[in-house]
Amino acid sequence: MMNLLLGYQPLLDLFLLHLGLAYAQWLVLRAGVFSLGTVGLAAVGAYTGGILVVTYGLPAPLALIASALSGGLVALALSVPLARLRGIYQAIATVAFIQIVLSLNIYATNVTGGAQGITGIPKTVGTPLLLLAGAATIYLMYAITHSRLGRAFDAIRQNEAVAASLGVSIVRHQTLAFVLSGALAGVYGALEAFHSYALVPSQFGFPYLIAILSYVVFGGRTSLWGPIVGTAVLILLPEVVRPLADARMLVFGILLILTINFLPKGIADTLIERARGRRLGARRPAEADTAKGS
Amino acid sequence: MLLQQLLNGVVVGGVYALFAVGFNLVFGVQRLLNLAHGAVFMTGAFVAYYTVRAGGPLILGFVAAAIASGVLAMIIEIVCFRRLRKSGDAEFGAIISSMGAGMVIMTFWQWVSQTQVLRFPFDTVPVVIYRFWGLRVSLLQLMMAAAAIAIVLVMAWFIYRTAFGRQVRAVTDSERASMLVGINPNRIYNLTYFISGALAGAAGVLVGLAFNNINFTMGEPYLMFGFAIIILGGLGSIPGALMASLIFGMVQTLSIAYLPSGLTTAFIFSAMFLILLVRPNGLMGREEAGSLRGRR
Repeated sequence: MMNLLLGYQPLLDLFLLHLGLAYAQWLVLRAGVFSLGTVGLAAVGAYTGGILVVTYGLPAPLALIASALSGGLVALALSVPLARLRGIYQAIATVAFIQIVLSLNIYATNVTGGAQGITGIPKTVGTPLLLLAGAATIYLMYAITHSRLGRAFDAIRQNEAVAASLGVSIVRHQTLAFVLSGALAGVYGALEAFHSYALVPSQFGFPYLIAILSYVVFGGRTSLWGPIVGTAVLILLPEVVRPLADARMLVFGILLILTINFLPKGIADTLIERARGRRLGARRPAEADTAKGS
Repeated sequence: MLLQQLLNGVVVGGVYALFAVGFNLVFGVQRLLNLAHGAVFMTGAFVAYYTVRAGGPLILGFVAAAIASGVLAMIIEIVCFRRLRKSGDAEFGAIISSMGAGMVIMTFWQWVSQTQVLRFPFDTVPVVIYRFWGLRVSLLQLMMAAAAIAIVLVMAWFIYRTAFGRQVRAVTDSERASMLVGINPNRIYNLTYFISGALAGAAGVLVGLAFNNINFTMGEPYLMFGFAIIILGGLGSIPGALMASLIFGMVQTLSIAYLPSGLTTAFIFSAMFLILLVRPNGLMGREEAGSLRGRR
């Protein structure tokens, strides 16, 4: 039994690492920021951590804090142009940001190791630490969801004009969400670096972005359960159904199309909504319609 | 030297125009980004390659590539976008959905090509170099420029001078109003996606010939360049996309020639950021980049 569990340990590590980035992506989407830049911010954090540990010999915990700061600061700088843009323009700008980070990492060979990346990062992060980080992340997200902040994010996402008229500052809240998400992405980028010995620039590219987005879209973009369900299912699926492992990209692609077309809210959100509707319907049949409409 | 670089830049820009005009046409008509456009572009290169390898002439490969890519783009619209457009949250959904479509197409070509880099047989285009006024132009470059100019002119005539084009522009302005005057928007969407895909496919063949390197990831950088071009030209504006493609082609060749190598991409996308900040609507765009409206 124990051996069986140990065999799945790398999978658990992968799940926890991706879960953190999925939450970083989820947080910005919740606040109505149409950013796809999570992977770029993770790259900033990972490189900050990697360089500080390998080149400057800093202890890993300090480097981790620096990674969070760098992710947050870069996000803060990026939020200035983003605040002036809407919708598709934000998506394009953040994808461009990923490209800038990628090409700078390849270009600045003497700082980042160029295309070869950074190797020989001491492995300081194991499963227990990742579990701790996962728990902390989920708690943080839970706290945000159940505070004034979470309600403000929801209001902005649903209708900016109404939110503004209720006195919720759109720019301030979206900046905050983006910075928090950047710091989170930075931390998880660094955790990934400390977990896997090596860093290469291409690691944080388009395919990674697609994976992270799939988790959030597939699981759900508004409820706390969304990223957990999405990441778990999409990471386990190729493992459970072995023949699918080779066709990972194909499965992800088809799932993305099917989910967004037929379950646009994602699995977890749809189930939660349905359960809530049933509960409300049983208690107050007359108000069930209003509940559905809200 | 500078003149030579500018000439090369114009040729490259012409190919970018094929790619970006189709990308922007779709955006103009539906207000949706088709992230599978890079995969459609790649499909053109692959179809032309397999046609030529099966013994067909290059011109047949070119036509087959354009038609196959056009049909593929049409299928993408029907499968990925048609349902979403009615749901009201198509802006985000289309990005996800077309990303998925791009992955499916990429996997398909990865399987077909077995992850190999494919090259056109030597002498598919004879290596002939013309010299005049101290400039060098290869036959391939002439072909690229001619094909780009011809295709863009035909498309401009189609959009601005035919009844079909008038219907396309009517649907662009208002889907509801055009339905009231008896236009079937779905048919128009099929048509615009076909044109957009065929342009991308043609660009794919030309790029495949120019670099003689066809692989299943070749669409991705062009998709990125496509972003930069339509931001510069203005989302939804076809003349803007044309102009921006030429500027972009020239800036790219010049920066490769005169900037430290490796910085080109960073330079281009940083410039794009600046444009977004200073002039978010691009050179000729009408769309409001920062307009405040309820989403989702």
